[in-house]
Amino acid sequence: MYSSAFRLRDTAAYILALLLLSGSASAAEITVGANVGNVPWEFQDAEGDYVGFEIDLVKEVAAKLDASVEIVNIPFSGLFSAVQSGRIDIAISSITVTDRRLESVAFVQPYYDSAQSLTVDSQSDIASLDDMRDKVVAVDTGSTGDIWTTANTSQYDFAEIRRFEGIVPAMLDVQSGRVDGYISDIPGLEYFIRDKPYFTVVQRIETGERYSMILARGNPLADQVNDVISELKRSGFVAQLHREWFGSEPLPDSSTVSVIDRPLSTSVGGTDAGFVQTFLNWEVLLNSYPLLLSGLSVTLMLGAISIAFGLMLGLFVALVRMYGMRSASIAAKVYIDIFRSIPILVLLIVVYYAPPFAGIELSAFTAAAVALSLVSGAYTAEIFRAGIEAVPSGQFEACHALGLSYRHTMTDVILPQAIRVVIPPLTNNCINVIKDTALASVVAMPDLLKQANQAQALEANPTPLIVAAVMYIALLWPLVIMVGRLEKRFRQEFSQ
Amino acid sequence: MTAIVSIKNLHKHFGNFEALAGIDLNIKKGEVVCIVGPSGSGKSTLIRCINQLEPFDDSSKVKISGVDVRQDETARAEVGMVFQSFNLFPHMTIRQNIVLAPMRVQQLSEQKANAVADELMRRVGIESQADKFPRQLSGGQQQRVAIARALAMGPQVMLFDEPTSALDPEMVGEVLDVMRDLAVSGVTMMVVTHEMGFARQVADRVIFMDAGKIVEAGAPDKIFDNPEHQRTRDFVNAVLQH
Repeated sequence: MYSSAFRLRDTAAYILALLLLSGSASAAEITVGANVGNVPWEFQDAEGDYVGFEIDLVKEVAAKLDASVEIVNIPFSGLFSAVQSGRIDIAISSITVTDRRLESVAFVQPYYDSAQSLTVDSQSDIASLDDMRDKVVAVDTGSTGDIWTTANTSQYDFAEIRRFEGIVPAMLDVQSGRVDGYISDIPGLEYFIRDKPYFTVVQRIETGERYSMILARGNPLADQVNDVISELKRSGFVAQLHREWFGSEPLPDSSTVSVIDRPLSTSVGGTDAGFVQTFLNWEVLLNSYPLLLSGLSVTLMLGAISIAFGLMLGLFVALVRMYGMRSASIAAKVYIDIFRSIPILVLLIVVYYAPPFAGIELSAFTAAAVALSLVSGAYTAEIFRAGIEAVPSGQFEACHALGLSYRHTMTDVILPQAIRVVIPPLTNNCINVIKDTALASVVAMPDLLKQANQAQALEANPTPLIVAAVMYIALLWPLVIMVGRLEKRFRQEFSQ
Repeated sequence: MTAIVSIKNLHKHFGNFEALAGIDLNIKKGEVVCIVGPSGSGKSTLIRCINQLEPFDDSSKVKISGVDVRQDETARAEVGMVFQSFNLFPHMTIRQNIVLAPMRVQQLSEQKANAVADELMRRVGIESQADKFPRQLSGGQQQRVAIARALAMGPQVMLFDEPTSALDPEMVGEVLDVMRDLAVSGVTMMVVTHEMGFARQVADRVIFMDAGKIVEAGAPDKIFDNPEHQRTRDFVNAVLQH
């Protein structure tokens, strides 16, 4: 007869087995993050399926490990924090191995030797990097192209670096002439322009960089993946991918063919990154602080200008809508309705990319300010209208009876009363405008979010984003509190 | 005889409803006219037409001192108006309420406008309230400010649209006293009112209106004690028995 203690142990073992089973069931799916659109590494084909060199590779790796793959589309600069936080197991996107990145994430062995390249409009007279003196360079935020260009700005005297979130928006700006050249990974560019004769790669920039996949530090999957890649190199699978996607044989001594060691961090004591090390990294904060401050000043400037123009526009539109001629009033209403229904992001992209084709050149800042002012103006107009309508009609009659002109009726009597009603909703609108400035980062505006994104990609660490969040809060919290106080005070005045 | 206010064939429609059905009326300088009648009879609409608060039919004519109010926008500055609901500017002090129009419309200097305001505030008995805001005053005080504000423009005629109807009963007297003083001092006044005692005592002429028409007009004694028309009699009896 077994003792009860023994039975208990059996039961515990049974439960443990169940847990392990369910554990291994979930491990059978590998979540892979990729900056989809990064041709020919990972992109969507005509059927909408994810295809590309690295997609094929990661799928084959997973198959060898008896696991399935789920692909998640994440912008390049977000891949590092995605693996660090465990949202994804592996990130692919022609990620170059760098010492800095090795301090934050783990790489498996590289499988492609790459270089940077300078791409220009075929009609331009730029033939090499030397012709880029005083010209504007486009790069991808936080990419090795960004790192190289930043480091070589003084050598080549670039006028300015504009940062984009991918090849398509960057190339649109090369085409529109807003930027003069685009410095980015050569394989992706050659693939992208193969059917676009109006772009030319004029120079290969040797950087000795190699692409690989990243995982969180300390993730045991890294060794398994590395072993499978060794196997796939020996079997010729990786070389076959090269032939398939680039139409050429890989060089015999390249990392596409030869098995090499996993790159490891050179820094001492670099083991698993803890929460503080990852999200509140003091060193990263110090490194990225100047970048974030410059972003903050751009955000403040863009916010202030958009708010000021939005206010003037909104007041004008509200007055036209309420007191203008019938046709003008209808036009004002149409404007208000359209710009309240259009997503700012869409408007921003239209305002940024459409005018150059009509020969109108708008800088990223101007385009962002125009888009934000237009939307803010529409909301402000409705706020002013509500404020003016809240003023009793007897006030208008008293002004009329006293013989006051329309202008004096408005400036001396109606607007000062309306302003008390509209200040809380107007302040709310200001908060929204400042928050919406973050959307301007899609048109290569170096605002706070953009700079934080760049910093986090450069450092391969999400601390700059946390700092940016704190900056946004510090900026907007006082306004939020003010709205609450004003609303309360206004309610009290009204009840008297 | 010079008419300050001259109304000829005044018609006013609200959609299909005829609010004023042909009014002819002349008001002499210094005359005090009280307009009485049941609700909806067109009393308020009549005086609102005089200073263009309501548009009226094209065939009608309203003149102030011979100037057509529709031809000349400045004519309405010659007409002072006191509303049932005071309509003071709540964001301005009492003094600011009074000096605004003289400074903006008549281009008076601040000093001169203040002198006018001081004089008028004394006249209506609110000189100690000059720097307060309207919400700090009682209803009676607010209406006296409204009277001072209208007088500050030096109008040729003062219109009163039920000036005591929104007041608590104990404050009606102080406003009527001010109006009585104005009447005695020779201000031309048209008063829409339900205060029959005031009308009988102060008015030179009482006008009884019904259904958009002047039914009967005459001296207070005649209208109140010996009306010609049955409708006037019914109204007077109903009001005075109250």
